[in-house]
Amino acid sequence: MSFLAGLRSLVLGETWVVPIGVAMLLGGAALGEGVADSLWHDGGAVLLTAGAVIVVLVSVASGARRR
Amino acid sequence: MLTAAGAAVAVAVELLEALAIVLAVGTSRRWRDAVLGAAAGAVACLVLAVLLGPVLLANVSLDVLRIAIGALLLLLGIEWLRKGTLRLAGRRARSSSQAEYEETREELEGSPLPPVGQADWAGRAVAFKGVLLEGVEVVLIVSALAARPGARTPALVGAGLATVAVIAGGAALRRPLSRIPETELKYGVGVVLSAFGLFFAGEGLGVDWPGGDLALLGLAAILVAATQAQIAALSRHAPGAVGA
Repeated sequence: MSFLAGLRSLVLGETWVVPIGVAMLLGGAALGEGVADSLWHDGGAVLLTAGAVIVVLVSVASGARRR
Repeated sequence: MLTAAGAAVAVAVELLEALAIVLAVGTSRRWRDAVLGAAAGAVACLVLAVLLGPVLLANVSLDVLRIAIGALLLLLGIEWLRKGTLRLAGRRARSSSQAEYEETREELEGSPLPPVGQADWAGRAVAFKGVLLEGVEVVLIVSALAARPGARTPALVGAGLATVAVIAGGAALRRPLSRIPETELKYGVGVVLSAFGLFFAGEGLGVDWPGGDLALLGLAAILVAATQAQIAALSRHAPGAVGA
């Protein structure tokens, strides 16, 4: 593996599921903060945690299906 | 305490992998070239660390920095957690520095060793690349954990202790530390980094975490519960560990 390929794999991981999931999670959170600031301030913790758990579970399920 | 422990475990796991590569070069080629290549990689990482921290802190607002650090930790943490969950469920081969050691030795078998007195550039390059790649990850994780107000000292102390422990263990044994449960350690690091990443990103995005910093423990517990449930579900249908 070349150095650059190793660096890409190190930061973004082996699949695109995790970077896309993290981008959607944080993009959605930024949208939530912009649209409903006070609601987000109180309920954002639950939504963000639930979103992160979904990203983890989906990435593992996709990895398990490919093997 | 959580920052120091997170930094220590993450750094130890990364350094074990770098150590396996350097030991493979040293035992199959020459120790001098292995140490020179590794030292050059460590210096490159140190330069990166010294440049990265002050530039980020001086030019980026705190909220943007929290989101960026949170995103980086989430990327690294969820990837480690994904691999750890698959390994613990038997859907992926367990992590092993011993395997990395053997692979590096095999890789170097193709390059003839130059006569004594001449530099072994193949050995130096492999040791350099191994230390640089693992070291960059160490720099990213420790910089991210240390960027929070008051977290610099615990992160650096944790990283320093782990560095001393791994180098001392490697120097004493001169072979990979094969009895260490790397799979479980990496799964734990994935949980810790993901929890920190979620917490930092949430802070940057205006989330009010219930319990303040104690929410980190709750986040870690939720990630463990979710992935352990998935491990149990996947293990029931496991076809046997395959792949690397």
